[in-house]
Amino acid sequence: MDLIKENLLTILILLPTVGAIAAIAYKAVTKDDSSQRWFALIITTLNFLISLLMFTRGVPAVGGFEFEQNVPWIPAIHTNYHVGVDGLSFWLVLLTTFIMPLSVLCAWTAVEKKKTAFFAFLLLLESAMLGVFVTLDLLVFYLFFEASLIPMFFLIGVWGGKNRIYAAVKFFIFTAVGSLLMLVAIISLYYIYAGAVQGSGSFDFVEILAAMQSGKLVLGSQAGMLLFFAFALSFAIKVPIFPVHTWLPDAHTEAPTAGSVILAAILLKMGTYGLMRFNFAFFPDQARETAWIFITLAVIGIIYGALVAMVQPDWKRLIAYTSVAHMGFVVLGMFSFTELGMQGAVYQMLNHGVSTGALFILVGFAYERRHTREISEYGGLANVMPNYAAIFIITTMSSIGLPFLNGFVGEFLIMVGMFKSNILNVTASTNWNYVAAMAAGIGVILAAVYLLWLVQRVFFGKVTNPENKKLTDLNAREIGLMIPLLIAMVVMGVYPRPFLERTDRAIKTIEARVMKSAGGAVEKTELDTKALENR
Amino acid sequence: MIETNLLSLIIFAPLVGAVINWLIGGRLKNETFSGLVGCGTIAISTIAAFMVAFGIGTGQPGALVADRPIFDQIWTWIQVGTFRSDFGLAMDHLSGIYACFITFVGLLIHIFATGYMHGDKGFYRFFAYLNLFMFSMLTLILGDNILLMFVGWEGVGLCSYLLIGYYIKLDEARRAAKKAFVMNRIGDWGVLIGIFLLFTLTGSISFFDKTVDGVQVHSSLAAIAQMAQEPFGWGPIFAGGITSVAVLLFIGATGKSAQIPLFTWLPDAMAGPTPVSALIHAATMVTAGVYMVVRCNAIFQNAPTAMFIVAIIGCATALFAATVGLAQNDIKKVLAYSTVSQLGYMFLACGVGAFIAAIFHVMTHAFFKALLFLGSGSVIAGMHHEQDMRKMGNLRKYMPITYLTMGTAWLAICGIPIWAGFFSKDEILFKTFAASGPLGNWAYVLWAVGLATAVLTAIYMTRLMVMTFFGEERFHHEIEGEHHADDHAHDDSHSAADHDEDDAHHALPADFKPHESPWSMTVPLIALAILSTVGGLVGIPYAVSSLFGAGDVNVFHRTLAPVIVEVGKPHAIAPSAEHAAVDAHATESAAAPAHGEEAHDPHEISLERTLAVVSVVLALFGIAVGWLVFSKTPLKALPKILQDKWRIDELYNGYVVDPITKLSREGLWKTFDLGFIDGIVNGIGHLMVEAGNAVRRLQVGFVRSYAAIILFGALAVIGYFIYYGLKLVG
Repeated sequence: MDLIKENLLTILILLPTVGAIAAIAYKAVTKDDSSQRWFALIITTLNFLISLLMFTRGVPAVGGFEFEQNVPWIPAIHTNYHVGVDGLSFWLVLLTTFIMPLSVLCAWTAVEKKKTAFFAFLLLLESAMLGVFVTLDLLVFYLFFEASLIPMFFLIGVWGGKNRIYAAVKFFIFTAVGSLLMLVAIISLYYIYAGAVQGSGSFDFVEILAAMQSGKLVLGSQAGMLLFFAFALSFAIKVPIFPVHTWLPDAHTEAPTAGSVILAAILLKMGTYGLMRFNFAFFPDQARETAWIFITLAVIGIIYGALVAMVQPDWKRLIAYTSVAHMGFVVLGMFSFTELGMQGAVYQMLNHGVSTGALFILVGFAYERRHTREISEYGGLANVMPNYAAIFIITTMSSIGLPFLNGFVGEFLIMVGMFKSNILNVTASTNWNYVAAMAAGIGVILAAVYLLWLVQRVFFGKVTNPENKKLTDLNAREIGLMIPLLIAMVVMGVYPRPFLERTDRAIKTIEARVMKSAGGAVEKTELDTKALENR
Repeated sequence: MIETNLLSLIIFAPLVGAVINWLIGGRLKNETFSGLVGCGTIAISTIAAFMVAFGIGTGQPGALVADRPIFDQIWTWIQVGTFRSDFGLAMDHLSGIYACFITFVGLLIHIFATGYMHGDKGFYRFFAYLNLFMFSMLTLILGDNILLMFVGWEGVGLCSYLLIGYYIKLDEARRAAKKAFVMNRIGDWGVLIGIFLLFTLTGSISFFDKTVDGVQVHSSLAAIAQMAQEPFGWGPIFAGGITSVAVLLFIGATGKSAQIPLFTWLPDAMAGPTPVSALIHAATMVTAGVYMVVRCNAIFQNAPTAMFIVAIIGCATALFAATVGLAQNDIKKVLAYSTVSQLGYMFLACGVGAFIAAIFHVMTHAFFKALLFLGSGSVIAGMHHEQDMRKMGNLRKYMPITYLTMGTAWLAICGIPIWAGFFSKDEILFKTFAASGPLGNWAYVLWAVGLATAVLTAIYMTRLMVMTFFGEERFHHEIEGEHHADDHAHDDSHSAADHDEDDAHHALPADFKPHESPWSMTVPLIALAILSTVGGLVGIPYAVSSLFGAGDVNVFHRTLAPVIVEVGKPHAIAPSAEHAAVDAHATESAAAPAHGEEAHDPHEISLERTLAVVSVVLALFGIAVGWLVFSKTPLKALPKILQDKWRIDELYNGYVVDPITKLSREGLWKTFDLGFIDGIVNGIGHLMVEAGNAVRRLQVGFVRSYAAIILFGALAVIGYFIYYGLKLVG
């Protein structure tokens, strides 16, 4: 047991890869292409159970990491295999291991060709995503970040819908371009560090941060801004932040159900996670200075995503656009630089993972039965599939942000955080922080419009299309895989404290770094005087 | 701090009932079981509510007389930084009154529903939703902070959505359900932002001072009460102060309580089953807005501009809805507009500072409007789901109990003494007239409009009674078009039958005879009729009681008086030591109503008596007009604009909904997303492909050309950065 605990994160990363190799080897030996889903299910479930061992240790101290491992990898360029979790990544790791078995289950019968390859890619994807969330070495982080692209590219391109090639390429290009810029920035940081400490360079997050905090490494304002944007752009595309979001509807819509679920639930979080982990820690001044840009884009994204979602004729694309809106909330909360807003942002990442993941799974159920995503093809499903309708409506309510379901807590904290923030200008006539929060609130209204309209068109009314009359309600596997998600929605909505408590210290550290980094406590007063002058 | 777990029992009993009905009732499909669970859990709530409110068997003072609220801390819901929201319940005088009448009226309506929903396939589902509604509503009332109130607020919205859309096959129902939810959501935006602002201003969202787990939580309302009153004018609305909070909260109230401009969902909501209309859309949920305003009276009193807005909106809504109610033919639609109108009265009362009168009217209205709706439900059931009053008539012969009980409600809503509506409506009108101090001549305008509404109310209610219970039997009357139905005074031919199996509306058989409803429906009617008759006696004003030589017997007023904060002074119901110190510097406020041991000014008493006589005379006049006009020509055509509800729905659809939809589809999605951004991305791709083709005259695959672009682009960028990075280092 101790052996597992000491190597916990390494095991989490490696186990799915081992599983993938085993599945392929099994196929090669037995020519059996149908039992690999069991490999995938067992491995991902096992990984989830192992990840629960993270609870055995308490909340790490300020700025510290738990389950840390630091082993030299390529000494020549001083890159290490350095992993660890803190409050920021803790729940994201759990979210990943929690969603994976469910996405394996939702692909159980949906995948009809090349099953071995499909489940092997799912497993490889899990390794890559977990690597992203726990790696503390920039170069290795980059490798994982890129590595996650490849399985997803194939999942969309091979098992996707009609327009899959276009969607896969678009997805790849958008995200790859962004992350190449990040690579450049990482290399630059390596040299800048070398110059600053008069020694060898470093890719280590903790080392670089320490050098920055101790004042050894000071970035020029121009260099800092360039590096900030190099990182930010790659993460912004991943989130995606308006206006670089257009890869998302295509990728989501064309991807197979399991792919959409992972994309929405986990992959998008790599963007927001990266912003909080690297951009805020390395470039706090730039983050503060550019907050108005991100807040503006986030608010536009919230309203824009909702309005465009509202008019989609395609069920899956509608939900894809809701991700633009919901992730806008996460970005808004992060850049409010208040404890409330940032806590809300982290919480909303989890909520979005659960709710939108669930919505995609549910759309997949209907697609598997009818092989169409056109909303107008459906109607009156509540009559023939009552359980399906009930589960869909509960999930909808969670996504709309009904209190006591998960979505509400995140959105509320984000908006109240933004409201209380002083990151934006306060003029005599207008407090722009208020305006941002109030505008974001419109997104909450619109969420009800587009989702309830969807529910109305798909589930209510009489069954008009004869093809829908013989539809069967959810089977045991389908209900079984939704139950953990439904439980998560209720628990996270009713009792969010344990979640928030675990992220608390990490968030406070980041907030302190961003809001006080330049001149310690003076910074706050400076901001206040600035606000006063503006009055 | 007094605590009791009975408060948890009040809210959780219905929740347990909902879960049992959903999980077990759904399998059993047994009406007796579902009905027993549904009504039984509400009965438990009712008993618990009365025990806590009156201190029966709890060994504690009743919440209605105790100095401090009775608390029940369940857990801390959200705590981040200084923000704290408990899942904690509290019953004070206000929530005590609310809890009692909601559980009791709710119980009666649940019993009624067992009869009304008999034979419905979704019987268990109906009771699950109804119980869930009671849970949400009681959470709204008993929540000890504004966020928990908001939880209930959203919860009742959800249940309302589910119950309006209960007949899922009806297009009308599903559309109405969505409309209700969305309209409420628009209002909820206001509440949400109002909560943010309240928290920003006071650092708390709690209604009361309390100690939880050794942590002192202070009351945000008490903090507001100590602030200076804001000036009157447009400025404070947008200044981000108390007035802004009040206006934002009131936006929420206009949604939930169906006031101008967010009222259009309520009449449509009548597509739900009738017990739902009675419980949710008449007696309880729609009065949540009034509850919030009264609960937050400290905020409103410090914001005279907001008070003025509340009064104007309430008064305008009252008149507007009454005019529409006059011309509707669907019995439930008439009652729906009547509800909107009566809610307008309640806000008028709030706006002129007569918060107690508002709550009084909430209570009496709950009795007589629930009765009217249940009565109409009984009529509809007796008429085999016919709701058009043009096809009724002379039902008093067939449904005597329904007729008599609805008759009492009719007297109550018209404001005939001694029925309940008289006292509450009269008090509102008197307080409006007397508010001329802060409001100047506006008070007389508001009073006059209120009086006109009272006349209209008497007319349309009389019309309803006449068309339903008197005159000729028009069961087989054919209605050709909406407008010239009166051309056919009597017509025995069968109505064009719609033989769709799924449709709730059936043509009536030729030998059709309406029938009286079973006891499960008539008993609640009788109980509500009694309450509608005597329920007003708890709030007899001094001006009336002194006529009979009695002293001040206004129990209702005395109970609620401590809830109404004197602004500039500490929270009356929750005084605490540190606030008392500030007391000395407190300033008197013009808007603060006098209360406690008030002196009875003889001029005021005679004024109140005069006004009461005026309004009774006018109510009788209204009844007389209604009787004379409609007993002769029950199908008299009324102005088309009124039948069309002033075409407000068309206005909203044409000028708000359609343009936004069009903008989203054509502008944002097709032009910006697909045209502009994707155009750029694909354009660059194509440009590169073209360039490659031109140079190499080779067919290049899409994927590969993209790959080439990435490579070139990335190399260029990397080159630049390496160059730049080296320059920085070197």
